[in-house]
Amino acid sequence: MPHLDAAYNLARWLSRSATDADDIVQEAMLRAFRAFDGFRGGDVKPWLLTIVRNCHLTALGARRRRSFVPLPESGDVASDALVAREDDPETVAIGVDQARKLGHAIAQLPDEFREVLVLREMEDMSYRDIASVIGAPIGTVMSRLARARAALKEKWLTDVEGGCRDLH
Amino acid sequence: MTCTELRRTQAYLDGETADADAIEQHVHACGECSELRDQILSLRSDIREQAQYYRADSRLRSRIRLGLDGEAPQSPRNSWLSRAFWAGTASGTLATTCAVLLALVLFLPPQADRLTNDILSAHLRSLMPGHLVDVASGNHHTVKPWFAGRADVSPPVAEFTREGYVLIGGRADIVDGRRAAVTIYRHGAHVINVFAWPADDKSLPGIVSRNGYHFVFWKSGNVAFCAVSDTALDELLGLTRLLKAMATPDSRE
Repeated sequence: MPHLDAAYNLARWLSRSATDADDIVQEAMLRAFRAFDGFRGGDVKPWLLTIVRNCHLTALGARRRRSFVPLPESGDVASDALVAREDDPETVAIGVDQARKLGHAIAQLPDEFREVLVLREMEDMSYRDIASVIGAPIGTVMSRLARARAALKEKWLTDVEGGCRDLH
Repeated sequence: MTCTELRRTQAYLDGETADADAIEQHVHACGECSELRDQILSLRSDIREQAQYYRADSRLRSRIRLGLDGEAPQSPRNSWLSRAFWAGTASGTLATTCAVLLALVLFLPPQADRLTNDILSAHLRSLMPGHLVDVASGNHHTVKPWFAGRADVSPPVAEFTREGYVLIGGRADIVDGRRAAVTIYRHGAHVINVFAWPADDKSLPGIVSRNGYHFVFWKSGNVAFCAVSDTALDELLGLTRLLKAMATPDSRE
């Protein structure tokens, strides 16, 4: 299925929950399939990711109306990364730990920062495509990206240093 | 205190800038912008190498397929499209051909990522014994004409011995399904491969680091370039600056 992984990755990072991501992507694929006849050409990926983002916002709105917003599932983000690496156990432990911390730091970014960062650094999308997905001008994409990077750097450094302190 | 070029530096690192030369020079000279560059590149490699990229599992795939099967086709055309689109049956109809082509294009990894992977593989292959050069020569009058008929572009080739980049030869390779001309330089103990192939209108990734290798992409006229090496990024950028300063190459297309 076209760009399903990209759709799922975005849904997962936006919703921060495996269960919600499943629902969001299923709904988005259905909407995309129904609308495909009306698709006027161009790049499919930004078009599909726009639908994913809208489905996420709809689901989020519905949850907020029921005033129930789940916390990120603990140990969910990035905990299953790096399982198949064949490095020595110590390296694996450090690698998993780093990946978990980075995942945690990204998950804690404000939504409007997290989405531009995921689209740019994980999906390699251009400013123009990101702008079309989030429905904002390119200038906004650039300033959010800059702030997202600064925030992530700060967040992550704090986490890593915090981790080091724990060792003492 | 804050440099006014930080924004342009960011855009440059995101592969968004046409006038890369001026910015590179600025970044080289400006402490704040070099710091920003290092920050962005290290965050980028951390995210790409360590952060989880979530993929849809087979359970979700079949769930979605089931959901779509339940969709009532709204018109004969739609039903054709859907059946061909999802099942991909090879009955030779126009719809099937379209669906297969679409699937081929869409199932592949993101273009930019694929390009970097392509070039990384080609670079690693070139480092295996006997694979580096097809024509070994330190003279651009030998290397440049050799590309004629073997590659789809004729890239600028020059000796930059004084600057520390020694031309060691040329090679024909494949990038993005096109016949690429590769110029090989040695810088200290490091090999630098400079790939050149006909550009299309897709954007290039800019500067990427992966597996300890740096990739610098740029476009000049209708030729796309990528310099790749395990040398330090600044050293690699030194060569790309020299190459960009040369005359615009001509494409054979």
